[in-house]
Amino acid sequence: MSISARHGARQARRGPAEPHAAYARPRTGLPSPVLGGIAATALATLLLPLVLDRGGLALYIDIALSACVVVGISLLMGFAGQVSLGQAVFFAIGGYTAAVLVLNDVPPLVGLLAAPVAAGLVALLLGVPLLRLHGHHLAFATIAVHLIFLVVVQQSDTLGGNVGLMGIPGFSVGGIDLADHRSIAFVSWGVLAVVVLVSHNVITSRPGRALRALATSETAAESAGIPVGRYKLTVFALSAAFAGLAGSVWAYYVGFLSPGMFPVSMSITFVVMAAVGGMGSIWGALFGTTAVKLIVSYLGMLGTAGGMPDYAPAVLSYAVYGLLLILILLFLPHGVVPALRDRIVRRWSAPPRTPLDTAGRDPGKAGLPPANGRP
Amino acid sequence: MTQFLMFLVNGIAIGCGFALVGSGLVAVYRITGVVNFAQGMFAVVAALSATSFVALGIWHGVAELMAVLVGGFAGLATGVVAVGRRGTQPLTALLVTLAVGFLAYAIEVLVWGDQPRSLPGLDGRAALLGVPVQRQYLLVIAVTAVVFVLLWLFFARTYLGKALTACASNPYAARVVGIDVTRMAFIAFALGGVLGGVAGVLVAPLRPISFDSDVSLIVGGFAAAIFGGLTRPMMALAGGVLLGITEVMIRAYGDASYGTVGALVFLIAIMIWQSARRPTLHKEAV
Repeated sequence: MSISARHGARQARRGPAEPHAAYARPRTGLPSPVLGGIAATALATLLLPLVLDRGGLALYIDIALSACVVVGISLLMGFAGQVSLGQAVFFAIGGYTAAVLVLNDVPPLVGLLAAPVAAGLVALLLGVPLLRLHGHHLAFATIAVHLIFLVVVQQSDTLGGNVGLMGIPGFSVGGIDLADHRSIAFVSWGVLAVVVLVSHNVITSRPGRALRALATSETAAESAGIPVGRYKLTVFALSAAFAGLAGSVWAYYVGFLSPGMFPVSMSITFVVMAAVGGMGSIWGALFGTTAVKLIVSYLGMLGTAGGMPDYAPAVLSYAVYGLLLILILLFLPHGVVPALRDRIVRRWSAPPRTPLDTAGRDPGKAGLPPANGRP
Repeated sequence: MTQFLMFLVNGIAIGCGFALVGSGLVAVYRITGVVNFAQGMFAVVAALSATSFVALGIWHGVAELMAVLVGGFAGLATGVVAVGRRGTQPLTALLVTLAVGFLAYAIEVLVWGDQPRSLPGLDGRAALLGVPVQRQYLLVIAVTAVVFVLLWLFFARTYLGKALTACASNPYAARVVGIDVTRMAFIAFALGGVLGGVAGVLVAPLRPISFDSDVSLIVGGFAAAIFGGLTRPMMALAGGVLLGITEVMIRAYGDASYGTVGALVFLIAIMIWQSARRPTLHKEAV
């Protein structure tokens, strides 16, 4: 049983009178204010690198690339109901693929395209045995894969071993140099846009609906004729490909890769971001990543300010990840964005009721589902 | 041959560490259905506390006992956060324990810094049937044996242990006969903390412990516990010992750097084998 499976069960209990906002909203014809909002957000974030300073650009790139990974996790956990605590592995595979290719005189653009393919292929191979597992078994299996990956990289000479790969050239396309902070920020934005677009199309397609059914009950989905194993594997590979794509841009940006850069806690922080925003929601993933990264970076600045001990930034970031995850899981188990969306949709749809409809009921609570879906 | 026996004792001792962490996982999982990711953290907290207590000049033995108590309190606190709020689903609770582990990182770094610390244990060697063995290894094995006997006595012979077992097999029926299931869950977490603490103070002299040692401890413990389907402590002991021996033998006769990989591959293989034997429908019903 997974979180989203419970989530689905709750929705079912709530009955057809109160369908979940995400399920009820027609996917094809988005209302124009929503489309306008999306366009405004896209434009604002696209213009942002022009005004940011160097530190701001570093944070911007970090957020955009982490968001690619988190959107993948959100798909995997929210729609396919599978937990992965090893997503940083695919980020690293993407980075190493691009780095090894570029260091062997392959054009950076080819490295960028090869990275998601490599990460996706590894995920396909790993997924065949691993996706037979569920819940905490899968969680531990993915951590085990992460630890094995670190040992393998440390032992591999082509991947630079413990020391790592150094001097990775910056990104460029056809001789045009795109290695400076601002260009990489635009590249990251583009990569994230591709990830969001692909995810959106997957969610709204027929396989997307099948995935949601699968997260609720694999048995029921299978009896409805959904090829459960193949779909789970596809989403796993897709989320890995997103992470790999982000990892390759990260490698070009940082110019240096070592196994120490990808600890198990990195995979867990991605899950924290997805949980904060809300599993199974692209906007949730984007919001969660931005919010968590901004908070951690702000506290990091406080931590490095004068008079603070040198371990203060680490302490603060661990505390933020821990506290945020606890508070969100206990008090907003569906994440911030779905909770907000529910509230807004309720406000829009609640008032225009006929007197007959609300008669005999507490007017303030007319038709509202219980908070958080709890009985 | 002597060398092989030395490695064997070494492996059993390391395996006992895994088994103790695993038994804490089993204690919590049996009663609450939650896989407690913070189990490795209890061991780390107890080990680090022990180093501080010893540095304060408290006698060996007393310092370790106090550290085990600290582990128990850490367990209780984790339990209150993870299952104190009614209606928390087991997989959500798993993520909550993960978050508690992260929060503990912050506290551990704040108190003990981010460098590994080691605890002096028993030094010297004793001859066992003509084989020289480090005395700390013998201590680990002996304490583990005592702990598992006590654990068995506790679950099988005491009223509290029976109540805990009742919660494990059917929480609803347990509540009907007047057992406070939530309090039992807290007791289970405290017990998990104590078991993790024992593991921590025993393992700390064998290898330096830093705040992020919990990942390797919890993965080893989980691998041991999964042997008995996370519900049977004795199988966790068997699994832990087998893992420990495998790891030491790979280090000794194979490639030292792949020592942990053997255990991890083993963990994945066992889980896949177990899942293949259980139909999907059964898994969804649990």
